[in-house]
Amino acid sequence: MKSQQALNILLGIYIFIFFAYLFGPLVIMSITAFNSAEFPSVTPWECFSLRWFNEGKIAYDGQHLAGLATDWRLHEGLITSLQIGLGVVLLSVPIGLSAALVLTQVHSRFRTAFYSISIMPVLFPGVIIGISTVVLWDRIATMGGGGFATELGRNGIFLTILAQTCFISTYCFLIFVARLQRFDQTQEEAALDLGASQTQVFFKILIPYLMPAIASSCVIAFLASFENYNTTVFSILSDQTLTTVIASKVRLGISPAISALALVIILITLAVTITYEILRRREDKKKKKLAAEALFVQTQDSRLLRNGKSTSTIPKSIFVIIFIIIICIFGFNKLVEKGLYGSVCIAATEQEKQSNFAEQLKLLQNNAEVAGQTSSENGEADEKKEYDDIFGDPNLFKNFGGFDAKEEEEQETSD
Amino acid sequence: MNYFFNKNGPLISTYLLISIGFWIVFLIVIPQLYMLDLSFRPNIPPLLRGGPDDVYTLVHYKHFLFGSETSGESYNYVDIGVFLDTILTAILITLINLCFCYPIAFYIAKVASPNTARLLIVSLIIPFWINELLRSFALRILFAGEGFINNVLIKLGVIDTGINFIAMDVALYTGLNYAYILLMIFPLYNALETLDKNQLEAAEDLGSSMIRTHFRIVIPHAKAGIASGCTMVFMLTAGALATPVVLSSPNTFWFTQLIYQWFNMNDNWPRGAAYSIVLLSVSVVFVLLMMRIFKVKIGEIVR
Repeated sequence: MKSQQALNILLGIYIFIFFAYLFGPLVIMSITAFNSAEFPSVTPWECFSLRWFNEGKIAYDGQHLAGLATDWRLHEGLITSLQIGLGVVLLSVPIGLSAALVLTQVHSRFRTAFYSISIMPVLFPGVIIGISTVVLWDRIATMGGGGFATELGRNGIFLTILAQTCFISTYCFLIFVARLQRFDQTQEEAALDLGASQTQVFFKILIPYLMPAIASSCVIAFLASFENYNTTVFSILSDQTLTTVIASKVRLGISPAISALALVIILITLAVTITYEILRRREDKKKKKLAAEALFVQTQDSRLLRNGKSTSTIPKSIFVIIFIIIICIFGFNKLVEKGLYGSVCIAATEQEKQSNFAEQLKLLQNNAEVAGQTSSENGEADEKKEYDDIFGDPNLFKNFGGFDAKEEEEQETSD
Repeated sequence: MNYFFNKNGPLISTYLLISIGFWIVFLIVIPQLYMLDLSFRPNIPPLLRGGPDDVYTLVHYKHFLFGSETSGESYNYVDIGVFLDTILTAILITLINLCFCYPIAFYIAKVASPNTARLLIVSLIIPFWINELLRSFALRILFAGEGFINNVLIKLGVIDTGINFIAMDVALYTGLNYAYILLMIFPLYNALETLDKNQLEAAEDLGSSMIRTHFRIVIPHAKAGIASGCTMVFMLTAGALATPVVLSSPNTFWFTQLIYQWFNMNDNWPRGAAYSIVLLSVSVVFVLLMMRIFKVKIGEIVR
């Protein structure tokens, strides 16, 4: 038994490490969103600030680093992503539904073949789906000769919807298949016997039964579309979705604004998950209660009912929510005490950096003045020579090179 | 066919046929076939298409194998190297993921109490819902030159100067492992959940050791789950684009990045299509191989 205990402890440690690995990077990324430094980091902690959620900052070398609220490219990408997500949901849910329905009716000889074709898109690499759609539609657009087809074939949003629908339909298909497996066919037959038309059966019996599956496949389809990158990056052409904007931002150099965005997404995910969990638990409880009551009716055994009645306690989740609210209030108080954006602290560090940069700037201006003087002197003497001298002035070039080199250094460090 | 119409009614039948036809023919089959066709075409400007120069050719596949004619080498070492590197790394990452996830899946499915299991599963799903790019970005923050890990290690006095994790590809491999870990856990978990606990107890009563039980009972039972998880992880890793874009070092290429280059930077679509076909055929071969090795049907791989 002792070895068993040791094994359990080892397993516990393993699970702890596993979840630390899963969540650690996300937690650290979230923390970096609050650091005022322009490189997302935790350890050289500059100041606590919310600037990456708001206006971003203008770096001391004049480079503008947009925050979450002021970044119009992100906003446009978000709108495009939402449009595409809506389109994908509208297309892929009906397709998945019809494919699942046909699967239940198709002759058993063709069933395997049909099933294999339906799930193939999931097994294709996403890149390839994007490429094949673009390639095909480019051909259609060329053949369309400037008409409507050409317009459609060059529309990135339309192409992306098609390409994503190709494999997201399979997700919906699988969800519907799972739900239809538990469908009681006799319901349909009963309705038909009672004189309902097939269309009525479909809308009055099948669709209500499939409602949970429809809801979950809508959510899954939207999420899958929203976070897709591999397919989208090819099919979007000249437009931008949220993911492609993020990708191009990350490639250029990383900024804490992305951390802030990630934190927002994480929080939304958390909220949705928790709500879903609470709803699911409530449903479970209701079902259990109903089952207990049904059992009581069947057996008339009063001992069975007692369990069902004693469930009217305060749900534990309320304590958790109260706890979170208290922490939020406390944290907010602290925030106000220290200045809402940590502005004092930021001003101090900014000052330090600026004084460093100001010296260089002064040097630059000095040199520019010298250069200006020389050129204006020459301008009085000979107009043609003026140009020669500007470009011939060694100081001017040195300063320019100096400025460029400084910027390059910045980019390197931010990489 | 008549039966089909009778059963569903005219309205619903039309809807079913149109939507499925649209999906299978228009979204799945034709694009792939057209891409296959394009990969055998020369790269010529659109105006010349359909003209006398537009003939079937193997030039792009030849380029993949032997390189351009101007280069002195007999094989295209760069592209083949990238290709093999991608495939081997993907296989390696799949195996690591399998070993890494198996204990967790087993714990959730068989050891933990139902409530704990539920909690663990929900907390596994949460990171999976967050964009792949953002997850890679999180790792980038950790692994960057002045990133978290380097700073902590320096502060602890383990190292003096920062380690360049990104150039060493540590970041890329961790990122790929991190990105698809959940697609390994869920199939494994689903397969293991159906295992009867009595079998485990019986094995223990009959004096089987822990390891032996796993190899003789648990793993054979989870066969379909293992096949499914491995296939999904391999496919997604080999076809990954987001993670390599964020985490790969400037001198390492992932095969998908090569395809991306032919398409978007060099504007050579037929060659990009040919390279895509190469990737696609590897994927198909891998699926068939997994089906053969684990003796499972394709329906069991994708659930």
